[in-house]
Amino acid sequence: MSARSRRITGVFSKHWMAGALRSVLGLSPKRRAIFAHEWRVAFEELGPAFIKLGQLISVRPDEFGRELVAEMAAMQDSVPALPAQAIRQVIIEEFGRTPEQLFATFDDTPIASASIAQVHGATLAEAVRPVWGDVLPAGHKVVVKVVRPGSAEAILADMAEARRLAERWGHLVKDFDAIKLITEFDESVRRELDLRVEAKIADRFAFDFREDPKIEIPRIVWSRTTRRVVTMERVVGWRLTDLDEAARAGIDSKALAIYGATAFMRQVMVYGRYHADLHPANLFVTPRNTIAYLDFGIVGHLTKDERESIAQVLAGLAYRDPERALRYSRRLGVVVPPETVDTVRRELGQLLDSMFDPGGAKEFRHFGLGFIAMLRRHGIEIPSGYGLLVKSLATVEGCARSLYPDIDIIDTARPFVTRLLSDSMGKPERLEGKINAAVRAALRELVA
Amino acid sequence: MAGTDDVMRFFALWMLTHETADEGLKAAIKRGEDTGPGGMEGGPDAFVDGLAAMVQQEKEQLKADLAAGGVERPSADEQKLALEELRFEVAEMRGRMDALTGALETVVAKLDAAPSARA
Repeated sequence: MSARSRRITGVFSKHWMAGALRSVLGLSPKRRAIFAHEWRVAFEELGPAFIKLGQLISVRPDEFGRELVAEMAAMQDSVPALPAQAIRQVIIEEFGRTPEQLFATFDDTPIASASIAQVHGATLAEAVRPVWGDVLPAGHKVVVKVVRPGSAEAILADMAEARRLAERWGHLVKDFDAIKLITEFDESVRRELDLRVEAKIADRFAFDFREDPKIEIPRIVWSRTTRRVVTMERVVGWRLTDLDEAARAGIDSKALAIYGATAFMRQVMVYGRYHADLHPANLFVTPRNTIAYLDFGIVGHLTKDERESIAQVLAGLAYRDPERALRYSRRLGVVVPPETVDTVRRELGQLLDSMFDPGGAKEFRHFGLGFIAMLRRHGIEIPSGYGLLVKSLATVEGCARSLYPDIDIIDTARPFVTRLLSDSMGKPERLEGKINAAVRAALRELVA
Repeated sequence: MAGTDDVMRFFALWMLTHETADEGLKAAIKRGEDTGPGGMEGGPDAFVDGLAAMVQQEKEQLKADLAAGGVERPSADEQKLALEELRFEVAEMRGRMDALTGALETVVAKLDAAPSARA
């Protein structure tokens, strides 16, 4: 066993013991919360690879318990900044030139420092034409995001260790498939280590929202972008945690909450591409009364058929129709065994009823995460895309509620759901089937 | 004469069905327009009413398009969308070219920094 393996095993054992001691007298849900907290602290202690792994867990309620998902969402991806010299060295290796040769100004004091990358402010030396949108003039403020030297190697080495440990001990973990998780994580983190992938997605989002003056996506400076460095327009604004200041500046939080939720529904229902990591740090409210998206590390993709099925599930939710929600969930890959269908339908109905009861929690989070928890309880496999979408919707709802507590996220979905359903109803093959059925029903009535 | 009566009866039935359906549709459109966009939350019936109102809007638009000399609007929209997608693809390629130009400048800068290697 390598020194790193011993360290990983040691940290997990220490926190497992701590959790066990603290939960000796606790009840079951509390015990899960205690262990979830210990896992989070262990992940933070073990560094970048585990911090990223924790972030992945935080968007996967389909694989992990509610307590662990909530705890991992609180993971702080903030590490001590590296000296500017180390970051400058990466820039020189990538471009063969110093930051001063590439930019008009470069700020040695970092704006942010996270497990994979460190971010510095700079200004453009010359005008740049982005892929989409207006030309960025010389002197325009940008941010330079640089992969921390050694972080890629450390993360990949840790992943290899984690894979070895999972292959050896993974069978002891009953709640999830450790090997599958590590494989998925491996793909996700390799994408994130190549900053050009994120830049390309940002361009696509900028194009998708090209006619929307309320949504801002930072434009990419491709001539100053490589695998380990991405340069993008600097967005100034308030995080969702600094809304008091935004309110003082006259920002209309309520309108922005509705607009932000609607914009997300558009991503899901119209474009089939959505920002799947919209926690408060990745979302700004700007002084121009707009919403700015940052950090496109995790993006969900949906086909037209999947979007139609999601619209049907949401329609089932809006009309308290568990049968419809289940039928279309099946098309999304949630296969309920015949012997469990009645139970699941009944429990889903109860979940919907509790949502619509006077005084009930009128939250998508309550329904979405409750539905996932119920499926897990019955041992029903949930496709990863389904879990990611449910978590993203719940997170968007949380973000929107921090701006406007009374927002009804399902209400914002209604126009999109209606449009998708009517589009789907107009399909010739569907019409053909429906008209035949209608004619047969009419004839039955006539001859009755 | 009985055969003629049957045919007449059939068309009368057809006309009655049509008339009844038409009245039903008009009533659904009226209800959908009265309740407005938020009214579709009232259940499947309200959804159908709302949908009927939307179809009515689309029909009025179609009539306007026909009166204006054709039904070019949807295809014009599709064309615009396809052109925009194409423009985006070209713009993306320009972005890649910018990145490649940057990479070439990097190679030149590295060669300049190591004159002995070039010699």
